[in-house]
Amino acid sequence: MRKPCVFLLLFVLASSVWGSAAAWAASDSQVVGLRRLTEQEYRNSIADIFGKDIAVQGMFEPGIRVGGLIAASTAVLSITPAGFESFSKMADGIAIQVVNEKNRARLVSCQPKSAAAPDEICAKEFLSHYGLLLFRRPLTGDELKARLDLAQSMARKTGDFYAGLRYGLATLLQSPEFLFRKEIAIPAGKDYTLEPYSRAARLSYLMWDTTPDAELLGSAKSGEINTAAGLEKQVDRLMSSPRLETGMRAFFSDMLELDTFNNVSKDTLLYPKWAGAMAASAREETLRSTIDLALHRNGDMRELMTTRKTFINRNLAAIYGVPFTFDGEWVAHEFAPEEGRSGILTQVSLLSMFSHPGRSSPTKRGVALMEIFLCEPTPTPPNNVDFSVVNDTSGPLKTVRERLLAHATNATCASCHTHSDPIGLTLEGFDTIGGHRTTENGQLIDVAAKLQGKSFSGADGLGRYLHDNPKYPTCLARKLYSYAKGADSEEVDAATVKTATQAFNESGYRLRTLIKGVVESPGFFQAPPATASGTKLAAQ
Amino acid sequence: MKLDRRFLLRGTCQGAAAVVALPFLDCFLDNKGRALAATGQRIPTRFNTFFYGLGLTKQLWVPKAAGPDYEMTGQIKPLEPYKKKLNVFSGLRVLIDDNPNFQHWSGVGASATGISPTKASEFDSKTIDQQIADVIARGARFKSVAASCAGDPKQSYSSLGGANTLPAEVSPLALYTRLFGPGFQDPSKGDWKPDPQVMLQQSVLSVVSEDRKRAMQNLAPGDKARMDQYFTSVREAELQMQAELQRPEIVAKVSIPAAPEEMVVNNALPNMRKVTPLMSRLGALALATDQTRIFNLSVSEPGSQIFLPGDPLGYHQSTHEEPIDPILGYQPRVAQYNVYSMELFAMFLKELDAIPEGDGTLLDHSLVYAFTDVSFAKIHALDGIPIMIAGGASGRMKTGHHIAGDGSPVSRAGLTVQKAMGLSVDGWGKGSMETKSPFTELLA
Repeated sequence: MRKPCVFLLLFVLASSVWGSAAAWAASDSQVVGLRRLTEQEYRNSIADIFGKDIAVQGMFEPGIRVGGLIAASTAVLSITPAGFESFSKMADGIAIQVVNEKNRARLVSCQPKSAAAPDEICAKEFLSHYGLLLFRRPLTGDELKARLDLAQSMARKTGDFYAGLRYGLATLLQSPEFLFRKEIAIPAGKDYTLEPYSRAARLSYLMWDTTPDAELLGSAKSGEINTAAGLEKQVDRLMSSPRLETGMRAFFSDMLELDTFNNVSKDTLLYPKWAGAMAASAREETLRSTIDLALHRNGDMRELMTTRKTFINRNLAAIYGVPFTFDGEWVAHEFAPEEGRSGILTQVSLLSMFSHPGRSSPTKRGVALMEIFLCEPTPTPPNNVDFSVVNDTSGPLKTVRERLLAHATNATCASCHTHSDPIGLTLEGFDTIGGHRTTENGQLIDVAAKLQGKSFSGADGLGRYLHDNPKYPTCLARKLYSYAKGADSEEVDAATVKTATQAFNESGYRLRTLIKGVVESPGFFQAPPATASGTKLAAQ
Repeated sequence: MKLDRRFLLRGTCQGAAAVVALPFLDCFLDNKGRALAATGQRIPTRFNTFFYGLGLTKQLWVPKAAGPDYEMTGQIKPLEPYKKKLNVFSGLRVLIDDNPNFQHWSGVGASATGISPTKASEFDSKTIDQQIADVIARGARFKSVAASCAGDPKQSYSSLGGANTLPAEVSPLALYTRLFGPGFQDPSKGDWKPDPQVMLQQSVLSVVSEDRKRAMQNLAPGDKARMDQYFTSVREAELQMQAELQRPEIVAKVSIPAAPEEMVVNNALPNMRKVTPLMSRLGALALATDQTRIFNLSVSEPGSQIFLPGDPLGYHQSTHEEPIDPILGYQPRVAQYNVYSMELFAMFLKELDAIPEGDGTLLDHSLVYAFTDVSFAKIHALDGIPIMIAGGASGRMKTGHHIAGDGSPVSRAGLTVQKAMGLSVDGWGKGSMETKSPFTELLA
């Protein structure tokens, strides 16, 4: 435990507030975060609250990347008319299933006096129970009353108690209090700190990618989660659960930009191996191998850059040139050293996402890897650039490298290309779908590079360069911290995550230590005083 | 005053009151077949946008002559069948003032809002389709509908401002389901009656909107705007339900087909050639049956990722890397992709023009504003950004002209569109693009 005295102090200062029922409703509270649920957060929350067999059907509005993370855009985007229309239909679809004859015994805890008439007591029990779970805090008296009135009048109108529940529940499911995670802070000394329910939600969505469970809600209700010991107890509990895997899959999906696949098309005329299921397979390989290293083996996260271990299925085996003779769908695989594979850098996912439909792109790969692993975005090129030399394969310059270098003799271009191209050039031994190759247009490919004074060659050289680069663990810490808070990673500097990074380094780069370090970072639950909140990034 | 339309219909066309169906329509057309004359209700004028990335090649598309007697050049040849229903604008300019030229974005933002964007990927105001929707959409089921022929929900250039865009439907099936799936009641069916479920859902929405006051409490200004957007969306859903309780105003001579099958929707041109006509047809049907009066269709992102199988570079990369042919003076492969864009545009116009309405077609009662991100993609140039406006706007827009470049800001085209759509606006745009001069020669 890093900062026991701070937490203790906060507890003492604020205990009088959350000792009472509703700190989040206090007049001096401030909403410091308003984050639209992601599709996965929504689906996981519904599955946890109502069960996995409740179908969720409809369109979710896409997120955008802010500082390399979609999580940050959830604090910027809102719900458009088309988005609400979809949420509204989804809400009704879910509510119908919850109260139908198949599910009501399991999901409606009380028996109405008559199934054909209103029953206030049972309806109230139902609505306050699911209200708490969906809003991640108890309903206010007004909120409950409005829904109870609706359920009663609908039951009367339709002659069906359960129809009343359906409409009452549907209002909860399309309320902004469910669709957005409202993070509320209350005064604590000079600063503001997240009130208990908001803390519970932030922890839960970070670590399990879902809504807080009963124990977290209990810890929020009692205020225990706002004590150092109470927080640590919850963090340890969430950490030791296998559900941490769900949470970290969501994080790595976002950080590694795996959603890029939604918009990747490959030229199957040139690359017939790229079949329909390839994108899903490649995404799964990356998540599986990352989670295996980070959680199952509790490994050194730097090995993500260098390991030759991975998991493959039949689709991927075709690209990797591995005979697939196994019965199961997925199998652990280790590449031979001479195959030149190096961690996730040479997995089909990253290689193919950051390429053109029919050609590899050292620039795209370089720019993406610099941003993803080193938190170093590359500026966009000037508007008026002649790139034609890069493409002229009929001339004397056969490989992309030669052509890129010729182009980069231009001083304005050079400043950026020397920044990102070397990384991409070391990966030129792999084509646009991640297959291995040694020549391009008949010329042997040179995979040497020099970056920030260090010379290296090939993917394994790049892997070692990143493995040893101290910016990589710091970047990972910044991304995790930003992901958890919904902040722009470019505005979260190394100093903010200093204690977390230090703990991460000292532990031998174990992900669990980093998670704990982030959650216990000074300032993780803190918010600036209300007057400063107007300056935060927001939509127009 | 709100008149019950069904009552009105009954009152004016005696004897046909029981069934408001196809033959019924004609008794409301005046002798030119122009409008629902008896009720004074005209066929509504609809608005569409068509977005395609990466512009055109100036040497190959800008017609030599200005005015009505221009020749269709090579690149716009696919639009030949619609020449008389089309205006093309060459030489319009995007003036970015002190803002950067955001690559593949400044042109999009400026064409869609009349304002040079201050941020990449964000609009500095509502887009033109939404400004028009505020005026003409009332009464239709959906305020606006967007679709992406490349299957990407983000390929929508319709926005209420900021980073939020109204997501595009990503497949013909998804578009079909939204328009003609649950909740759709075919207005040409004789037994049309309001769905009682809609009234129950109205009560649900009214409870949701009652939370507004509490939901807005203690929010920072930016979040307040976002919460406000949420409640605006709720309001729109309420209006949608109101519309669903009314029989649509126009009973078009169309029938709604069965749902399309699942299909591959991506950036590969052969797929786009299958998807674009389907998306277009569904959009046209939605307009014809008054499900919406605003339909936004896109075939790509700015910096189009369309590719022809076998071409390792694809469209966008070609614009930057293909050398200018020293003899031809342009990029031949890029030029071919330009033509593909126009072919896709022609597919959209074809579907709009295929639906008869009154004395003309749906296209005659529509405007289609086609825009792009750049003029010369290789260098992200904005001068001479091509703009096309198709459709007669129910007679308010004169068509068949080439408006030759006089260096006016692109916002003049947008202002002309709004005038033709009947909006009472004096000017449009900001900064150097602020204009009060529509192309009056086109306005009837």
